[in-house]
Amino acid sequence: MTRDAWIGVVFLAFAIVYWIAADGIRISPLDGPVTAAGLPKSLAYVLGTLAVLLILRSLALKRTKGGEPVRAADAAPPDDAERPALYRHLRALGMLAFGIGYLLVVPYVGYPLAIVCLMLGVAVYIGARFGAKTAAIAGLGGLFFYLLFVQILDIPLPEGIWPTLFGTLQG
Amino acid sequence: MTDGFGYAWQALTTTPAVFAAMGGVVWGILGGALPGISPSITMALLLPFTYSMEPITAIVLLASTYVGAEYGGSIPAILIRTPGTNSAAATAIDGYEMHKRGRGGEALGISLTSGVMGGLIGLVFLAGLTEPLAKVALVFTPPAYFALGILGISVIASLSEGSLIKGLMAGVFGLMVATVGTDPLSGVSRFTYGSPELLGGIPFILVMVGVFAVSELLVQASEPEWAKTGSVQTRMKLPSFKMHKKLLKPNLIGSGIGIFEGCMPGAGGTIASFMSYNEARRWSKHPEEFGKGSPEAIAAPEAANNAVASTALVPTLSFGIPGSNSTAVLLGGLLIHGLQPGPLLFEKHPDVIYGLFGGLFVANASMFIIGMLVLTPTIWLVNRPKPYLMAAIYALIFSGVYTIDHSLFDLTLVLIAGAAGYLMRQLGFPFLPLVLGLVLGYLIEANYRRSLLLTGGDHIVFLRDPVSLGLLLTALVFVIGSAWRDIRSARRKGAADKADGSAPA
Repeated sequence: MTRDAWIGVVFLAFAIVYWIAADGIRISPLDGPVTAAGLPKSLAYVLGTLAVLLILRSLALKRTKGGEPVRAADAAPPDDAERPALYRHLRALGMLAFGIGYLLVVPYVGYPLAIVCLMLGVAVYIGARFGAKTAAIAGLGGLFFYLLFVQILDIPLPEGIWPTLFGTLQG
Repeated sequence: MTDGFGYAWQALTTTPAVFAAMGGVVWGILGGALPGISPSITMALLLPFTYSMEPITAIVLLASTYVGAEYGGSIPAILIRTPGTNSAAATAIDGYEMHKRGRGGEALGISLTSGVMGGLIGLVFLAGLTEPLAKVALVFTPPAYFALGILGISVIASLSEGSLIKGLMAGVFGLMVATVGTDPLSGVSRFTYGSPELLGGIPFILVMVGVFAVSELLVQASEPEWAKTGSVQTRMKLPSFKMHKKLLKPNLIGSGIGIFEGCMPGAGGTIASFMSYNEARRWSKHPEEFGKGSPEAIAAPEAANNAVASTALVPTLSFGIPGSNSTAVLLGGLLIHGLQPGPLLFEKHPDVIYGLFGGLFVANASMFIIGMLVLTPTIWLVNRPKPYLMAAIYALIFSGVYTIDHSLFDLTLVLIAGAAGYLMRQLGFPFLPLVLGLVLGYLIEANYRRSLLLTGGDHIVFLRDPVSLGLLLTALVFVIGSAWRDIRSARRKGAADKADGSAPA
């Protein structure tokens, strides 16, 4: 099966699950002729139909050996012998992991430290050499964002455990 | 019109709109100059900050960013043959050739002056066309508004990159995301699964930032470092009067094409810039110079893409149907401040509309000076190592998104949207239909259900209303036309493969 056919299968499955979830939406006495579940169910039907069309289209294209018509520049980047697709996806996953890591630690270590670590980690990950220079740039960047958001814009970014910790120590 | 000037003057003199215009241009130039950071990403990065601003200031800031970014993209296009924005790709062809011959400063000057001219001409059309077109929408009933939303998604899906089916799927998916939260008509919660954060729905601003900005960062994580300008010092050289005369025709060609393409949903600056490049060559006295460093080959596309930046607002402000990613972000900015595009926007908030026109005038006019002043810092920025820039943008996204609701849950949604955007890129799904579905979701559902309330559930209302019928038929024509194009293209390719015996197994 072609890639698009698999995409169609996944979306068809999603449409079915979505319809089931929509069917569970409560009916309200305030509903009119179309309930709150009306549009979601309709969307599930439309998505399912489009998914089937995608599957049929990709199978038809494969059968006629016409290949995928391209109406504009390819949306997906071509595989590169030097940078295979798996490499690209793993790199992207790594970038995402930095974001997830930031979300996990910021409630504990606070915004200033977390943002410095994020900038340092991402810079090294993208290609900067890990060392004093990169650490200094990350530190300055973190300081800049702290001053901009916390001091100037007065946004109450997470402080972490430090106020509680220092309060306990002082107490 | 006199009232319009009055509103514009008041907006410029009593609000920070002037500073927002200039600030937006600076930010846009800097963002547009960075390869991979499109105008829509540059604007999306600002969205969280516009929450606390006055509506006029916020909208002028976003629109000016678009203006600045369209020029900013030409700087790396000329200096390192790497367009900062897609619409600067045509400029890179002759701009880099001029730079190789030591005329880089002249190329930058032509790009700047042509961009200003195209932007100002486009602005005249924007101011002249928007209100009359918006008045057309006065005859719109709920069925017509529903049909308009369907038309918007259908047109964008049929004109977007990738296949029509994928475009429509992206639009439907956007509508699905828009249904998450509390049903506005009955108060029932949908797809929240007990999460209080989802009761208010998924803010489209988070999806926009994730899909545009975060997904780009994920892609850039594996892209090689872009070329640098090195230590070459480039001073901008403005065109002489003689050169201005020579460039008048390509400037007008570019502006005209940009105005037309800007008004068409889905067309955008890239198509306009290449079309104007071709037309300028066709009408040039020296077409043989194109591709070898012709000033006309820079003037036409730059005038075009800056004219687009103004006229792309016509369908956005008149009907609330954004024609490009950038205007989708601008629409998001309007909706954040409770401003629904359409004729009522002119009636209820003329100060915002004419303030926007005034702000755009300031943005285009001031770009002339700002473009010269920020050239050196822009080149410095483009020369910064990519790791530090990417780290700074990631930090800016996380910090900026938190300012909206002070919620880490929002950051989670942004990351999810970013991952989804990355997957969409890899699988060939266009972004714009998804964003449109999300932004227009409420309009479509509310008017769909309102229409059926009026008729007791009879769907024939959508066919009885002449405007609704016309719009739905137009949507059908676009979809069928696009499908037919795809089928013909596939058949042609299949025939070509069979002819040369290179068909895949």
